Amino acid sequence: METNLNHILVFKTNIDQLSAGCALSESLGKETRISQWSIDLEDCDRVLRIVSETLSNKEIISLINAHGFECAELP
Amino acid sequence: MRTRNADKEKLVIEKAIELIVSGGFEGFSMNKLARLCNISVATLYIYYQHKDDLIKKIGSEIGTAFFAHTLKDFSADMPFPQGLTKQWENRISFSLENPKIVECFEIIRHSPHGEQILQTVVSPFKQTMADFFTNAVSNKELQPLPIEVFWSVAYGPLYSLLRFHSEGKSMGGKPFSLNDNYTNQALQLVLKALKP
Repeated sequence: METNLNHILVFKTNIDQLSAGCALSESLGKETRISQWSIDLEDCDRVLRIVSETLSNKEIISLINAHGFECAELP
Repeated sequence: MRTRNADKEKLVIEKAIELIVSGGFEGFSMNKLARLCNISVATLYIYYQHKDDLIKKIGSEIGTAFFAHTLKDFSADMPFPQGLTKQWENRISFSLENPKIVECFEIIRHSPHGEQILQTVVSPFKQTMADFFTNAVSNKELQPLPIEVFWSVAYGPLYSLLRFHSEGKSMGGKPFSLNDNYTNQALQLVLKALKP
């Protein structure tokens, strides 16, 4: 099924590394309100892309900040 | 309400192809692409998960278009000379009409994404081409040959000519432009060589 574009949130971050078992991957994976997520580590903005029907930008930013990374809405 | 904008998507693909052809994957970034399309980086990421996702989608799209074009007015049970002539015609017209797309497909094909893209889009095409080969051999219109030898003889000359044409020159920088004369000469020799 095609993802509803209104449920896609994108952020600029400074996440430089990501591994399957790292704390950030774990919490993003565990968060049931996130149906899909990915980070483009090759891009200079390390764009985080989240698909979620219910989470707000703010909630995602604080989740990422809690892991010690910067995160801002991508204009 | 955010909706997919087909025109915008078309523009993104067109510009991405331009970027890949002019600078390879090294010079290709989502930021550059967004700027070139006059859209925000965020929009690009809403459409595509990441750079690799975009490249894979472009590769599949081009592959599908190429294979559809190649199979136009062609069927696996055509007499061998007619079938091969049709293949040459279709492959030539696709290359001449879409030089950038062909160049981009070659780049993607030889990248780490190539294998995966080919596997997803190529299978119906591969089956038709394999049937064409088997039919021709069993109808005694074609010498039984290892498929690689067959392909090299059947299409190698065509792709050499297309390469000369796209570079605008042949050996030693001699100016070259493909015309029906060259094509027919080469095709007739190929048909002669492959006859049992």
